[in-house]
Amino acid sequence: MGKAGRDQSARDRIKAQREEQRQREKRKRVATIVTVAVVAIAAVGGGWWFAAQSSKSEEAGGALAPITVAADGSVVMAKAGVEKPVLDVYEDFQCPACRALEETSGPTIKNLAAEGKAKVVYHPITIFQEQTNKGITRANSLRAASAVRCIPGGAAWSVFHDKLFKEQPSELVEGFKIPDLIAWGKDAGVTDPGFEKCVTSQEKAPAHIAYSTKVMESQKLTGTPTLKLNGVELDPDVAFKPAQLRQTVLDAAK
Amino acid sequence: MISALPWVATVSRLVLAGVLIVAGWGKIGTPVLSVQAVEAYELLPKSLATAVGYGLPILEIVVGVLLVVGLLTRAAGVISALLMLAFVIGIASAWARGLRIDCGCFGGGGQLAAGVEPDYLIDILRDFGLFGLGVFVALFPPGRFALDSVLGLTPGEESYDEDESDDEELQEKETY
Repeated sequence: MGKAGRDQSARDRIKAQREEQRQREKRKRVATIVTVAVVAIAAVGGGWWFAAQSSKSEEAGGALAPITVAADGSVVMAKAGVEKPVLDVYEDFQCPACRALEETSGPTIKNLAAEGKAKVVYHPITIFQEQTNKGITRANSLRAASAVRCIPGGAAWSVFHDKLFKEQPSELVEGFKIPDLIAWGKDAGVTDPGFEKCVTSQEKAPAHIAYSTKVMESQKLTGTPTLKLNGVELDPDVAFKPAQLRQTVLDAAK
Repeated sequence: MISALPWVATVSRLVLAGVLIVAGWGKIGTPVLSVQAVEAYELLPKSLATAVGYGLPILEIVVGVLLVVGLLTRAAGVISALLMLAFVIGIASAWARGLRIDCGCFGGGGQLAAGVEPDYLIDILRDFGLFGLGVFVALFPPGRFALDSVLGLTPGEESYDEDESDDEELQEKETY
C-alpha cells in the first residue's frame, strides 16, 4: 500500500468518524429542541388551564337573599340580620367589563348573600359621559338604569338586572330600547301596573344621574366594575376569580 | 462578516421580550378581562375568543422568556412576529369599524377618559415596529448571550469547506 493509498484510507476513516459525529450532534440537537419545545408548550397549556380554572363560575343556588331598594337607589341583597361584611358592587349596565364580572362572579355574589355570608349592595351607576360615541353609550346606560329603578325590589329586581347584562348592546349602537325593557321586566316577574309608564317616561333618570354623580365622587371610582369589601376596593384578580372572591369575603366575615 | 448583526439581534430579542412579558404579565391576573378584550374586537367567535383570552397572556410570557435566554430563538422570533402582525390587523380593523376597545369602563380620570378615543395609530405603529424586530430575530438568530449557541442548537454556524478541513485534520494527524 503506497502513501497515497494510506492517505486515502485514513481520509475515509476520518470522514466516516466525522459523519458519525455529525449524526450524533444532529440527534442531540433534535432531542434538545424537542425537549425545549415540549416544555414551552406544556407551560402554555398549563397556564391556559390554570386561567380557565381560576375563572370558573359557581352554580347559582336557587334561593336569593331578600332584595330591598334603599331611598337613594342603592339595592341591598342580604338575609335578615346580616350587616357585615358589606360587599358593594358598582356597575354600569352598558359596561362590557361589568358584564364580564357578572358572568364570572355574579353567581358567587348572589350565593354569598343567600348563605348569609355577606350583605351585598348593588350600586347601578352611569359612568359613560355624553361625549362618548356621540352620547349613544350614555343613553343606553341611562335607559337601562332608569328602568331598573322602576322595580321596587324582590327577586324580580335580580332577574331583570341579570337580563340587562345578558342583553347588553354594543357601546356603539342604540340598545336597551324601551319596548324591550318593558318586555324583560314583565318576564322577570314585575307585576306593578306603573312599571310600563315608569320605563317609557324614564322618570327615574334624573334621580339616577344625581345618584351616579354622587357615588362616583364620594367613592372616588376610577371605573366600573368596582367591588368594595367593607369599603376597601378589591383587586380585579380577586373580583374576577370566583373562588378567590368567596374566600376573601369569608375571611372578612370572621 | 458584519459583527453588528448579532448585537442588533440581541437588542431586538430583549426589546421584544420586554414588551411581551410586560403585556402578558399585566393580563395574566385577570383572564376574564383578557377574554373580554379579545371579544371586544368582534373578530373571533366566542369560544375561540375565550381560548385566546386564557392562552395569550401565558403564550406572551413563555415566548418572552425564550427570547430573553435565546432558546429556540428563530421559532420565538417567528411567533412574536406573527403575534404582532395579528395585533396590527386586529387594531386596524377595530379602527376601521370605529370600535372603542377598553378593558374596564372609565367615566373619566381613567385610561380612556370621557370623549378620548383610543390612539389606534400609535398602537399600530408600535406593533408594526415590534413585528419588524420579530422578523429580524427570525432571520438572524440567535444573537449574543443565547442558550441556543451554548447548547449547540445553531446548525450551519460552523460551516466550512469539508475537503479542506479533512486535509487539515490529516496534516495534524500525520505530524504526530
